[in-house]
Amino acid sequence: MILEFMRDDHRACDHLYTEAENALADKKIDEAKTLFDAFYRATNHHFDMEERELFITFEKRTGMMGGPTQMMRYEHQQLRSQMESMLTALTQGRYDDFFGIGESFMIMLQQHNMKEEQMLYPMIDRALEGDAEIMIQTLKEMPQ
Amino acid sequence: MFEGLSLDQAPPLSVVMRFFLTLPVFGLLLSLLMIFAPHDVLTLSHPLSLASIHLLFLGVISMGMIGALFQMQSVLGGKPIPNPHGNSLIIHSLFTLGTLSLVCAFAFGISELFIIAGVFLGSAVVYFAQILLPLLFGTITHDTLKGMRLAVIAFALTATLGIVMATSYANGIFGDYHALIRTAHYSLGLIGWVAMLIVYVAFQVIEMFYVTTPYSDWCKHNVGRILAGVLALKVLWLFLNLPFLWLTDMIAVSLLFGFVVTTVKRLQMRKRRVSDVSIWFWKGGVALLGLALMSYSGYLFSDYPSLETVSLIAFALFALSIILGMMGKIVPFLIWFHLSSSGFMDTPIMSNVIPQKRLKITFWLFSATAISALLAPFYAPILILCGLTSTAMFALLLFNLISAKRLYHHTLRYGTKFTFQS
Repeated sequence: MILEFMRDDHRACDHLYTEAENALADKKIDEAKTLFDAFYRATNHHFDMEERELFITFEKRTGMMGGPTQMMRYEHQQLRSQMESMLTALTQGRYDDFFGIGESFMIMLQQHNMKEEQMLYPMIDRALEGDAEIMIQTLKEMPQ
Repeated sequence: MFEGLSLDQAPPLSVVMRFFLTLPVFGLLLSLLMIFAPHDVLTLSHPLSLASIHLLFLGVISMGMIGALFQMQSVLGGKPIPNPHGNSLIIHSLFTLGTLSLVCAFAFGISELFIIAGVFLGSAVVYFAQILLPLLFGTITHDTLKGMRLAVIAFALTATLGIVMATSYANGIFGDYHALIRTAHYSLGLIGWVAMLIVYVAFQVIEMFYVTTPYSDWCKHNVGRILAGVLALKVLWLFLNLPFLWLTDMIAVSLLFGFVVTTVKRLQMRKRRVSDVSIWFWKGGVALLGLALMSYSGYLFSDYPSLETVSLIAFALFALSIILGMMGKIVPFLIWFHLSSSGFMDTPIMSNVIPQKRLKITFWLFSATAISALLAPFYAPILILCGLTSTAMFALLLFNLISAKRLYHHTLRYGTKFTFQS
């Protein structure tokens, strides 16, 4: 349940990033900026859903406070910092830098997503049991 | 249980790099054999041909795959390999010495070296498997991990049969079962170890790195099971001397051909259109696998021996292509990752660690090597040209890796770190 919902959100974010990168490669600068902004907001929203709701509930249910969720928060920090660097590069017209940072960002993001999808989300699903549906509703209602 | 969820748990750079740096050295040795003994290298069962095959599949392909598994385990398996420095040093040393001993045993006909090779290689693979398998059979499980399990088990079985064969070579006594053991040995090695691992890595990385439609759940769940079942049946068929052995081969060929078609389709229709050299290597590699499967099918029905040789060469080139493509991405990423995680402000971006231009040259040299290698079974002297281009390719690969490592150490030594003032 949580796995499918969050995995779909990962894919939606990937799609937005890809669209932004494709637009920039085609030298459609304004379109690239708009799409990257959408990606930036969607990804931050995804991190917020995890940090403000999902992880906290998981930690309360399992008592695992300093475990995997803490590590994921640390990775979010690193990913957020990279997104800021990409945003700055895009705004300042340093497009080669944007692609350069984007390359490592994409690998890091995908490794992060792999860990969540293959390890953390299944654990959260087990911890939430029948309450997963309610959690998904809460996540859907979170303002972006 | 969840150590792998931490970025800090990635193995130190040197753990992976020691395998990657050894790979081109074995590649250069192989190139020398191709330049100086092209006819012998192409003659099936000639000692220099066997030396070349083991240089390629052990020294180059397996060396790269073991190094990559040290890295992948921490990301995919939920638990990093314990004591990565010590364990990688033991496995790397045993594997390198074992490969060298085996190649020298074949090349110079020194029977004692077969025993030494058997001991070193057997110890390396069994030690590697006994560290990795318990981690792969842990509480976390998913399709890629299941594929990795099967691949490592097949690798251990391949090594076991290899030891049996090494003792035959050492004694100069080849029993009735020697040919059967050899067939089981290379079937398990090529399909069970090399193809299985690459297929399951593809299931994971193609979709995620290039943003493609996912492989079907059926594929992810069943390809490994079917390949493992087919290999088990083939070994049983071989030793019971039952008819229609080719059927097991055709099942594996059909399955891998399905992988080729679905992967090409995904790469062609990928959403992420920005092209990098790793895509070229994936496309080239998958095309080479297709060629290997077609020529092997042709060999099964025609018995034309050159087709078998083409099939083996194309298969090896498929694996090499994927390894070169992934190394071009993994090495710059790891260097960037380790430096940026340590807080260096002047961490180079990936394209500055190994410039795309040099990766493109590596690809063109690989292409020239592949074309000449595939033509060589029909005109042996062209293998000299293949040896020359592969010398250039492996030398450039070694240069890329050494310069990347030097950049890493230079930044560690002279780079500026973020400081937090309280």
